[in-house]
Amino acid sequence: MADLSSVFVRYDLKKEAGEKTVAVSKDELLQKVMTAVVDGDEDNIVDIVNQALKVHDPLVVIREGLVKAMNEVSRLWDEGIYYLPQTIISSDAMMAGLDVCEKKMGHSMEKKGIVITHTAEGDIHDLGQQIVNALLRANGFEVIDLGKDVPVDDVINAIKQYKPAMVTGTALMTTTMTAFNKIANRLKREGIELPFVCGGGAVSLEYVTSFDLGIWGKEAQQAPPMATDAVSGLSWEHMRDKYNG
Amino acid sequence: MAKYTAMAYKSADEMIFGTAKYPVKYGRNFEVGGGFVYPELVPHPRPGSEETKKSLMREYERMVNDALERAVTLGFPGLQIELEHIWQMTKNPDWGGDIAGQTRKLQEDWYKKYGIKSAIRATIADNRKPDQENIRNCRSLELALKTFESSAANGADNLSMESVGGKEISDYAIVRQDIRGVLFGIGVLGSRDMEFMWKKIVEIANKYKVTPGGDTNCAQANVAMFMAGGLLDKSVPHTFAAVTRAVGAARTLTAYEMGAKGPTKDCGYENPIIKAITGIPVAQEGKTCACAHADLQGNLIASVCDLWSNEAVEYHDMFGGTTPAVFTEILGYDVALMNTAIAMGKAKDLQALLINSDKYRDPHSFVVAPENAYQVGKAIVDNNTDYYSRAKAAAIKAAQLILADEKMLLSNFEREVLQKVLRDLESFPASEKDFIEQCTSIYKKVIPGFNLANYGL
Ligand code: B12
Repeated sequence: MADLSSVFVRYDLKKEAGEKTVAVSKDELLQKVMTAVVDGDEDNIVDIVNQALKVHDPLVVIREGLVKAMNEVSRLWDEGIYYLPQTIISSDAMMAGLDVCEKKMGHSMEKKGIVITHTAEGDIHDLGQQIVNALLRANGFEVIDLGKDVPVDDVINAIKQYKPAMVTGTALMTTTMTAFNKIANRLKREGIELPFVCGGGAVSLEYVTSFDLGIWGKEAQQAPPMATDAVSGLSWEHMRDKYNG
Repeated sequence: MAKYTAMAYKSADEMIFGTAKYPVKYGRNFEVGGGFVYPELVPHPRPGSEETKKSLMREYERMVNDALERAVTLGFPGLQIELEHIWQMTKNPDWGGDIAGQTRKLQEDWYKKYGIKSAIRATIADNRKPDQENIRNCRSLELALKTFESSAANGADNLSMESVGGKEISDYAIVRQDIRGVLFGIGVLGSRDMEFMWKKIVEIANKYKVTPGGDTNCAQANVAMFMAGGLLDKSVPHTFAAVTRAVGAARTLTAYEMGAKGPTKDCGYENPIIKAITGIPVAQEGKTCACAHADLQGNLIASVCDLWSNEAVEYHDMFGGTTPAVFTEILGYDVALMNTAIAMGKAKDLQALLINSDKYRDPHSFVVAPENAYQVGKAIVDNNTDYYSRAKAAAIKAAQLILADEKMLLSNFEREVLQKVLRDLESFPASEKDFIEQCTSIYKKVIPGFNLANYGL
């Protein structure tokens, strides 16, 4: 057999990920909570959190266990040690743990703010939206998920009803993304101003910045920091500068 | 329904581009799989042109004409055109039908004038939403069936679809590296939905005497493959995507068991496995679909193709002409090379070049390389007692093949993922009934809107 080793280069092997280091807590029970979230241990997270709740206040378990662990997961993903599935499984575990803590508190954790997400009218490509939903929820936002193939009117009505800090749209087809400027125009006409982050395969920076309110979202990971900015009152113009400048 | 229990070919070595065991004839003197490879051009309208039927028809008229003109200008013997519906064409059955009619008229004109062989594939959009509606009885289904009819009545030679059954489960599972959900959503539910859909599509095709073409696992295995992405992406592990492809093959096979005749749909990267099992002609896309997406098997995937496609290219001007013209040219010269190899008795040599260019580039290309595709196919037919067993056998075989070949280099992470997938697969219940029960209790809890009745369960 001929030597084909120069035909292509497996760059993925040259850049093998480093070691996974996990943040530590001095408290053994909280450490267990963190490890369960970082490992995405959905089977045991509920028991582990319940153990921790015997000693700690729910707010402590949330802040010092669950949230810290999720920050660690974000870091592992950013550094290329975790793949997307590891991140999603961790956020599932974190949400399950949060649920237990909230039940103990008797009320939900105060959410950081409301975000409405949707996939454009006529478009059923909703995977990007689902990832955005998972990441926003794991980061403490309340997500109003309008689903896929959502008529322009429904998006407008939901914005009026829930008064979110930010709204997102996903479109994978050039022939459906045209719903986004219709939404933006309607909002402008009705005097509603809020950041409208649009993403998805078909959607380009050029298109989204061609209408007011639009901010282009390249990667799902950007959704939580964008929502944080929106909640803190950054205008759509400033956000466009920051993310699309 | 007759299930495949034997392979169409004695060995992978018997498989070659341009020739299928069961060639298909339709259109204007057009034969697929009869010893010759043809290009299949897929044009896509520009945003805005979908606003009215008139503007969309005009767009298609230009695109189709540009393609045919370039084909004749360069002396290409034939061309298939795919009308891959944007949702407006399926939502309005008369739009889909009239565009098919207009395309036939254009093809006939060029055929009369120059004798260029041609045919039309209409791929109707599956707009059903399994987690939001009853997919066996909803408006989107009704419109899709009407559009199959209007397309067939007006000129489509080949009816195809990218059906989406089980997608609510596979979407959840693929981003969680959950092989159980992949097996359930694609292998079990996807296959059951195809049984439902393809019974109807075949009936319509027979009514209008056109060919029921094929389906693809675009909604699932392609999601995994595109998310796995290139060598530096960290979304879905590549080994996981490769195993998902094998499961997708077990599912896509259902169309042919229900009576589809091919040629299959271009974006079905599982098609080498399908061809090995069924002997039906296949359409593929590789380097020529770089306009639509990147893949790691740009040459290899042509190794057993009967139609060679570009997936989809948006209508625009390029220095060398409009995109349909330019891509017709690229496809046409690619197949001219294959047809020359056939004529000069060098087809197996060219095939070896195509395969070896990419076989070890990625686990995905490795699994669909003819030799391995054949073995995955064999695992399917040897275990074809129910959808679950055959899909599981395909997945296990794919995982074993990747792990066993030393030349298929894997990062530690990718290897661990694959070993875990294999362990999981081997731990699942033996019977389909138990597996469905297990999955139902798991996914009911986490996927709102998941409804067994959508799958006749
Ligand atoms: C999978 C797929 C499907 C699946 C969808 C499954 C699902 N649950 O989504 C199915 C089979 C259903 C499908 C159907 C069709 N499809 Co399709 N599909 C694809 C494919 C292969 C991959 C898309 C995907 O899931 N990518 C992965 C996700 C995660 O990526 P993403 O959504 O872009 O999200 C990422 C970013 O964009 C971003 N992001 C997304 N949203 C947001 C939001 C915010 C706020 C932020 C910050 C970031 C962000 O984050 C994500 C990653 O970090 C593409 C090919 C391609 N090149 O893209 C074609 C593609 C999109 N499909 C296409 C077409 C034409 C169709 C059909 C019309 C075909 C037909 N005739 O049947 C139908 C449409 C039906 C309909 N009404 O929608 C075309 C669209 C062409 C165009 N540009 O207009 C494409 C490009 C393929 C092609 N032909 O070239 N498809």
